Amino acid sequence: MKLVAQLEELLRKFQTASDAGEYRLSGWRIFVHESQSLALGLKDNSPGSVYTPPAYREGESGEVFVVWADGKCSQAKVQAKPTGELQSWQNDLQDWRQAAYEDPDGTTIVIPAPLPLVAVEDRAIAGILAGDDEVLFGQLARLLAEKPMQAKMQAHINAIWGYRHVRTSTGLAVSYRESQYILSYSLDRLVGTGFAKRRLIKAEEWTDRWDTVLGYYEALQKGVQPGASPVSQETTVILTPSVVEEMLGQYIVPNFSGQSVLEGQSAFRPESFHKREKIFGPEFSLIVDPLRPWEWGSYLVTLEGVPAERTTLVRNGALETPFLRVKDAKRWGGKPTAIPQGTAGLFLSHRQEANWASVLKGVEDGVLILSVLGLHTQDSVSGDYSLSAPQCIRILNGHLVGSTGVKITGNFFKDLAAPSTRVAREEREVQPYLLIKTGVQSL
Amino acid sequence: MKQEQLREMVRGILKEYEEDGYVIIRAEARREWGLRFSDGRLERVSTGREEGMGIQAFTPSGVSGFASADILSSASGRRLMERALALANRNEGLGAEGNTEIWKAKLVQEALPNPANRSFAEMPLNQLTEVLSSLHISLIKSCQEAIWQTSYRQVEDMWCIGRSDGSLVSYVIPRAVLMHQGTVHRDGKNASSLVHRSGTDMGILLDEQADHHLEHEAAERAGFSAKVCEAPFLSPGHYPVVIDYGLAKGLAHEAFGHAVESDHMQESVLGDNGKLKRGLRVARPGIHIIDGPLQGDWAYQPFSANGLPRETVWIVRDGVLEKGLGDIFSAEEAGIPVSGAGRAESYAHIPLPRMSNIRLVVGDVIPLPEGDLMEDAENVRQALLAREEIKQGEKTLLLVGYRGGQVNPKTGDFVFQCEGIIDIGAEALPIYRPSIFSGKILSALQAIKLGLGEETYDAIGTCGKNGQAVPSSGGSNRYLLLEADRQVSLGGEA
Repeated sequence: MKLVAQLEELLRKFQTASDAGEYRLSGWRIFVHESQSLALGLKDNSPGSVYTPPAYREGESGEVFVVWADGKCSQAKVQAKPTGELQSWQNDLQDWRQAAYEDPDGTTIVIPAPLPLVAVEDRAIAGILAGDDEVLFGQLARLLAEKPMQAKMQAHINAIWGYRHVRTSTGLAVSYRESQYILSYSLDRLVGTGFAKRRLIKAEEWTDRWDTVLGYYEALQKGVQPGASPVSQETTVILTPSVVEEMLGQYIVPNFSGQSVLEGQSAFRPESFHKREKIFGPEFSLIVDPLRPWEWGSYLVTLEGVPAERTTLVRNGALETPFLRVKDAKRWGGKPTAIPQGTAGLFLSHRQEANWASVLKGVEDGVLILSVLGLHTQDSVSGDYSLSAPQCIRILNGHLVGSTGVKITGNFFKDLAAPSTRVAREEREVQPYLLIKTGVQSL
Repeated sequence: MKQEQLREMVRGILKEYEEDGYVIIRAEARREWGLRFSDGRLERVSTGREEGMGIQAFTPSGVSGFASADILSSASGRRLMERALALANRNEGLGAEGNTEIWKAKLVQEALPNPANRSFAEMPLNQLTEVLSSLHISLIKSCQEAIWQTSYRQVEDMWCIGRSDGSLVSYVIPRAVLMHQGTVHRDGKNASSLVHRSGTDMGILLDEQADHHLEHEAAERAGFSAKVCEAPFLSPGHYPVVIDYGLAKGLAHEAFGHAVESDHMQESVLGDNGKLKRGLRVARPGIHIIDGPLQGDWAYQPFSANGLPRETVWIVRDGVLEKGLGDIFSAEEAGIPVSGAGRAESYAHIPLPRMSNIRLVVGDVIPLPEGDLMEDAENVRQALLAREEIKQGEKTLLLVGYRGGQVNPKTGDFVFQCEGIIDIGAEALPIYRPSIFSGKILSALQAIKLGLGEETYDAIGTCGKNGQAVPSSGGSNRYLLLEADRQVSLGGEA
């Protein structure tokens, strides 16, 4: 018996049985993820090495949330049991009851509502997990064949396919198929790229990424030209889309979590949202959008049973709302919102976005930050950063002229508020390039 | 599931293996409880049981495939075996390089008892909740300067690793951690701090109830955070630096430990043509870096994930690079002995060579009395002035609170972040906002001059190598003095 069916049977029994005693339930919610995956890897140009062998994984796991008849609640991680018999859940049920606690704001079980249609499954990935996996092995072989001769390549490809199930005591019963695909690779551990969506990569996406990475790799092979001016406070610091995504993960996601805002652990207070305080430049907006087809962060329904919808966190530079789970929404006095999965589903936009290639031509004195060391060590709440970026590309008069290393120091919130900040976008990239004026020094 | 049941299952699956290659089975059963209070409210109590099995199968030429599932049963194990073998054969057909080092591994058969002093469920969850509630409320009352979160987590992680050569090892790793996180808002500026107390079981809560040690530390850090909010930035530069033992653990772990892991030697700044640069002087005489499991420690692991005993390794002895951290698959190629360094996040992950508890040991140590943070700063200042190690009025920066770090083992670049900085060169002990501590790992190690206070090895964290999270720990004397170096810098002004 499938895990979701085991749990449903168990919880219904304890909701309706007259002899359930202290285990009697008044409400419940189940989330189960059932998946298979195939991962391939390349380490130091060696495909399928002992550290990166082809790896198959299957699993059924999830979370249970129950509200007991006395109003207390419990939550637990669960996974499939070998026998699947109801009796085998007895110990778990005892654990859950023992873990029961009072949380008046947290006991809401959502009422079912119509679900949107969102493309989250690529049937080609189902085919890969069914054995038609030549496409993945072919991609790995292609990376190895086309890499620069002298470069040491690391790569990872993963295809995941399965079902997502959400059930509630209020009658929600949703099961849908979903797929995920990840491709990442790097050359000499200096420059790389990543692609993560709910479908396989398209030919043009492959080519665009490959060309960009090779271009940066070639630029990094050149030292800065003799006589080139060093970076100064006049130098434009340019964060690549992958660095912008990391910045969003470090500074935006934790500070826009409704729980953090409500608990005083965020850079923003509830009243800042109520007053629509302007925190970014007026051209900036930030949304959580789970409705975009095949994006990694897209879904039909949250783990709590809330239908997917678009939520604006920042509109024209002003705070709108944090993202709110069911419990946070009750405390906030509003509706639950869309929820990002890490930075997936979170989109930063600017009304004056320009094409990256044309913006690059106009950069007279710049430094392109390909990656930073130690971002995860920065204080999210302050917004401050003081980072080392040993692998950067110097830009002079619109050209990538060679490698350099810099240290950047500033505040990400101030960067997004500064009138001097500009935004450029490369087609098919989820996040933009950010051109900022911030503290920069040569390493 | 009991340890003997797990062993029986793995033994049974191995018995059915009749191929000419090799196979490693990793079975894991894990139990976890977690509690969280925020600003006086109980926010979450969670329980979880996770278990599963991963099988790495090798063809006779050493090419491997891997399969895992989150179910522990003989039937599932047999299915995974077939799948792993099929992937290994497929991999071989594509020309993957073989590695037969595992054939040389010695036979090991051992079952270790659970080293916890108290059983996992000795105190029921409702009582744990009451104890944690009292600790949280006590903290809120004693320090109203910050908004507080208190969390507690206890884990019992049981492993059984079997190999087709007849090896079978099993062990249990118990872990518990209590954490207080405080956020301070001052004049539109914010800062946060995190302190923790770790051990093997809920005994840490009872210890905390008795001595409130963590509460005092949390309150002290919150007071410091408040001052940091109002503090200026430091001008970037190369300064004499005093680091606390948490940062010393970070330095040893990020800057040195990763650079001597056998799977990185091809690219490591401490490698030469793929071999460890043994005999290279990397620090002053009297400086040692040692890695190895300590029973009762956060990162304790008695066997590698490949079923070999985890050994204690002197990476640096008396300032000279001596050994690396070698797992069975790449130690010989890296020119170092196998030390059982393979660790995996879970049964579903491929093991990699990595650290356990890493400590930086210094020969020249100045005793230091116990004190709170600012007393420590004053005591360190007085001790270093008395020894004429620093000069009155010359900026000497004490970095407080390790927030984590990162290193590029290929280039030797490292970065670390702290919660704030105290200038112990000035009598008034002025405070600065946190600034990045960065540079070249070899320069940082060579700059270490002496230690202050007793050896303290309970700085804990999570190592994220290759996306796999495993517990890490370590430390040094309570403080270390690093001389100013052109390749090591602090800072920057926004």
